Amino acid sequence: MPETDLMPEPSLTVPEALTGSGKPLSVTRLRKTYSGVTAVDEVSMEIAAGEFVTFLGSSGSGKTTTLMMIAGFCEPDSGSVVVGGRDVTRLAPQKRGLGFVFQQYLLFPHMTVWENVAFPLQLRGVPKAELRRRVGETLEMAGLSSMTRRRPRELSGGQQQRVALCRALVYRPPVILMDEPLGALDKKLRDQLQTEIKRIQQELGLTVIYVTHDQEEALVLSDRIAVMRDGRIDQFDTPQELFERPRTPFVADFLGAANFLPGHVEEQTAEHTLVRLDSGGLLTARPQAAQDGTRVRAAVQPGRLALCPPGDGFCTGTVETVTYVGTLVRATVRPVGGAHSELVRLELPAGRAPALGERVGLSAEPGNVSVFPDAENGG
Amino acid sequence: MAVLAPVSGSAAPVPRKKRRSRVSLSDRRTRFGLFNAAPVVIYLLVLFIYPIFSTLLLSLKGENGGLTLHWYTDAFQGANLEILLTTLRISAETSLLSLVIGFVLAAAVSRLKPLWAGLVMVVVVVPHFISALVRTYGWIILLGEHGVINNALTGLHIPGAPFQLLYNETGVVIGTTSVMLPYTVLLLYAVMKGIDRRLMAAAASMGAGRVTIFRRVYLPLVAPGLVNAGILCFILCLGYYLTPALMGGEKQTMVASLIDEQVMKQDQWNGAAALGIILLLFTFAGLLLLRMLKSAGEAYRNRGTAS
Repeated sequence: MPETDLMPEPSLTVPEALTGSGKPLSVTRLRKTYSGVTAVDEVSMEIAAGEFVTFLGSSGSGKTTTLMMIAGFCEPDSGSVVVGGRDVTRLAPQKRGLGFVFQQYLLFPHMTVWENVAFPLQLRGVPKAELRRRVGETLEMAGLSSMTRRRPRELSGGQQQRVALCRALVYRPPVILMDEPLGALDKKLRDQLQTEIKRIQQELGLTVIYVTHDQEEALVLSDRIAVMRDGRIDQFDTPQELFERPRTPFVADFLGAANFLPGHVEEQTAEHTLVRLDSGGLLTARPQAAQDGTRVRAAVQPGRLALCPPGDGFCTGTVETVTYVGTLVRATVRPVGGAHSELVRLELPAGRAPALGERVGLSAEPGNVSVFPDAENGG
Repeated sequence: MAVLAPVSGSAAPVPRKKRRSRVSLSDRRTRFGLFNAAPVVIYLLVLFIYPIFSTLLLSLKGENGGLTLHWYTDAFQGANLEILLTTLRISAETSLLSLVIGFVLAAAVSRLKPLWAGLVMVVVVVPHFISALVRTYGWIILLGEHGVINNALTGLHIPGAPFQLLYNETGVVIGTTSVMLPYTVLLLYAVMKGIDRRLMAAAASMGAGRVTIFRRVYLPLVAPGLVNAGILCFILCLGYYLTPALMGGEKQTMVASLIDEQVMKQDQWNGAAALGIILLLFTFAGLLLLRMLKSAGEAYRNRGTAS
């Protein structure tokens, strides 16, 4: 069986053959159209061993289609998928040797938990004693040792998804693909399983590609996130980079729910860009190549805004709403003066909540403000 | 090696405890239920239970009025025994053939788009609305020595053509299978439709090839349907009269024909009643087998797994 070289080492550490080969997965200019509509457009990326990568995007962004093309359930129009140095673009899913965790679990209903997890090992002709040990170890790691004889329908959703996870990783595939695996679970269970998936991934050094539309989930789990929109990758970066240095307004909005403040560039220096806002204030942003006078939108996340005495900062306004969200307070401020008066959203520690109707100033660290050319006026 | 993770918050559903239901006439729901069931109970008593018991009585009645097993020993002797065995054999052959054809057909239809699937199912089921007599004569025209099929085979210079396709076991099995096919197709189609096709994708993602997926995932999931359809088909065949009578030869006489002959030609009601009861017992045996197969399957699935 060709897959045998993917799992030569029964121990729970990643076989050296895998980590040694460098990148377990690279995708080049993948393209897919469905009856004229482009679902995935020239997607390229390289994923390193042991990396947790998330495709993040809303529905229709092409994230799932990309995953399906990597898994082999859907054939790309052009481009290639290379797993561990082997071009698998035209191979059937069963010949790629990858692991897949589905949103709907898809455990075999006629098999017990144990049989479900043993199934991929039986396919590979793993000797009985070793099979028993590996299935046992994997189930124990996922906290399922007490329910090996149960059937999938006797398990809760969270338990079923754990079994599905075990089944996908028991044969040590070089890459495990997960398609919104926690999508069908409630919030609390989702949080718990996130932590667990992350723990198992780190413990075993798994390479994971994860698809989700939940930005919080992506931030918690991922080493790198590919933010997808309209079939393209907007930005592929670490969560921190995405958060602090979004490259497009979409990323700033999708990940940070940023405030967009219209204005124009007043001055450019090596250290910063000065933006004259339409509301009248002057905002210092990190440097951005733009000509003086260009219409821009300055993006700053609600959590990166601070209160200051009225008159200071880039904006003065009155507090319109205050909402307590646990240890956080969400507030909106209506700027006074100037033509533009869209509400500005901010998040503050609960102790620093402003009073309703209070006049406040808003300030932000230059490093936390990104400037994007204003698409509407620019072209 | 790893820390034993706490099992997720929502515990697995506890196996339902059977509540001992206390049935008493004072219970309003029980009385209401009895009231509702009464028409059906009376209907069954008059039209099913009474006739069956009178048939049973008839089959045990001796010529001098006393009780006897004479008619049963008769049924299991000589020509009669042969007819019983023929009936069982032809029923088994027909069930097997309908299962195989039904499986292939249902598997194909279950993959079609709903519109096409509906159309094919209509094609499969509609002939059933036509009288079995008409359909049987249709087969006779097709399968005759100078029928469409033999003419075609002779035209193609197939060695041995024309074949004897009528008035022998081949003819009976072909005809009866065509009558039974809608049952197997409908039953199997319903089961196959209920199988999540993504399970096959899941198996493929783990490295299972087509044959393995079929053997380890698809077939076990269809198996209950196969057992049901097979037994149903078998039971229906046991008492089937028309097609075997018209398309079979002398050696293919089945129990139903024998009963017909005993009643209509020999005025032999007691023997006919005994044969009827034997058929009924075969049917019960079939149903019992179904139950046993089911519980055996369940036991097989629940067999010990770990270590």
